[in-house]
Amino acid sequence: MLIYLTGRSGRLHGLNPITKVMLTLVVIVCGFVLPGVWATWLVFGSIVLPLSLWGGIAGPLLRAVARITLPFAISLFVIQGLFFPGGTPILSLGPVSFKAEGLQFALLFASRLFLLSSAFMLLLLTTHPGLLMLALVQRGLPANLAYIIVATLQIVPRFQARAASILDAQRARGLETTGSLVRRLRAIVPLVGPLVLGSLVDVEERAIAIEARGFSLRRPKTSLIDIPDSRAEKGLRRGLIIAPVALIVARLAGWLR
Amino acid sequence: MSFADRLRQDFSTLTLVLIPVAIAINIAIGQLIVSLQIPIYLDSIGTVLVAALAGPWAGLATGALTNLIWGLSGINPAYTPYAIVAAVIGLLAGWFANIGWFKSVVKVAIAGLITGVVAAALSAPITALVYGGVTGTATDVIVGLLQSAGASVFGAAFGQGLVSDPLDKLATFLVAWAIIRALPMRTVARFPRAQNVTA
Repeated sequence: MLIYLTGRSGRLHGLNPITKVMLTLVVIVCGFVLPGVWATWLVFGSIVLPLSLWGGIAGPLLRAVARITLPFAISLFVIQGLFFPGGTPILSLGPVSFKAEGLQFALLFASRLFLLSSAFMLLLLTTHPGLLMLALVQRGLPANLAYIIVATLQIVPRFQARAASILDAQRARGLETTGSLVRRLRAIVPLVGPLVLGSLVDVEERAIAIEARGFSLRRPKTSLIDIPDSRAEKGLRRGLIIAPVALIVARLAGWLR
Repeated sequence: MSFADRLRQDFSTLTLVLIPVAIAINIAIGQLIVSLQIPIYLDSIGTVLVAALAGPWAGLATGALTNLIWGLSGINPAYTPYAIVAAVIGLLAGWFANIGWFKSVVKVAIAGLITGVVAAALSAPITALVYGGVTGTATDVIVGLLQSAGASVFGAAFGQGLVSDPLDKLATFLVAWAIIRALPMRTVARFPRAQNVTA
């Protein structure tokens, strides 16, 4: 289920995960602070797109972003285009009409969503979650929290496979999973029951297993993996802190319209 | 007992191992429901389960992390901004369990409905501010109807939530309650707040 792309050496993949997290946050702040559609696309064109080309992930990034934003964009243009409160009609379709203000509203939100998800994908496609968590733990994130996140990322695919096989098994026994709503609602219990009860029984064993490996030991732990961090990156991160603060101040002071 | 001690007790190793499983339950069942085309979400059963067995703070962590991980894994990053709603659902469920509402099925149902209304109220500003009022799913038709009847973007998003959230949380709480009932007593007894769910 991970969308992390392996086998693409260097460049974006090789940057320190913290740098990439900060970059993502800066782009997200830009998306909400900068006024108007043009600024949103300017940020995408000047930061996100060049970086994804440099990292060799532009294709997969655009595909993933399209998959996420397309359903929203369609809904936005139809619902807000037709039903936006007030506004000037520009195109009539029988009893309803598309309104200029509604379409502008839809365009702004669709653009923002596009920018946000592309920034997010830039991080996710080039950073292994395990490495990201390790970097965060070394900067003070509680190790318990990191354990939960990494363990979940490993469990979810196994769980989804199990859910699929339970669905098949119950269908083979004659469970109806199509048809009327009542019939489908009734199918929930025989599907959810085996999935959940089976997995909760394993929990105790796993707790004992990680306890035996010193999980709750309260002292510094060493790591096999060394995370690279160049001097240039440290400087870049300092710049990345200043940028969003400056933007927010400029917006509040009314210099950005 | 001080708050820090209480937290240390709630977040026992067993709880920390339960949370990833609960998050996986949230995600796997959430996706399963989508494939059955049932018009509710059922994506917080694990959160309610943890909240009942390990208290409101563990519930809060499970809810927030579910939406975070949903995004981090790339399955559905659009859910990440709703992390705060999921966190409050966990917190509320844990609080209802603390005051003894997880011991009778009627109170579990009422707790679910109340949580649903709160969830709708918290989701609406997120839906309005981040997504312009839509969720990219079939329920957007309701948003369109409400807006054409004169509701604002926020009002329409809240109205849509009021239609689907209380029903969803009612089902979620009842399923979580049924799961706890079906667990062996010796398993339940090992969790930090076992006294909340056993009569």
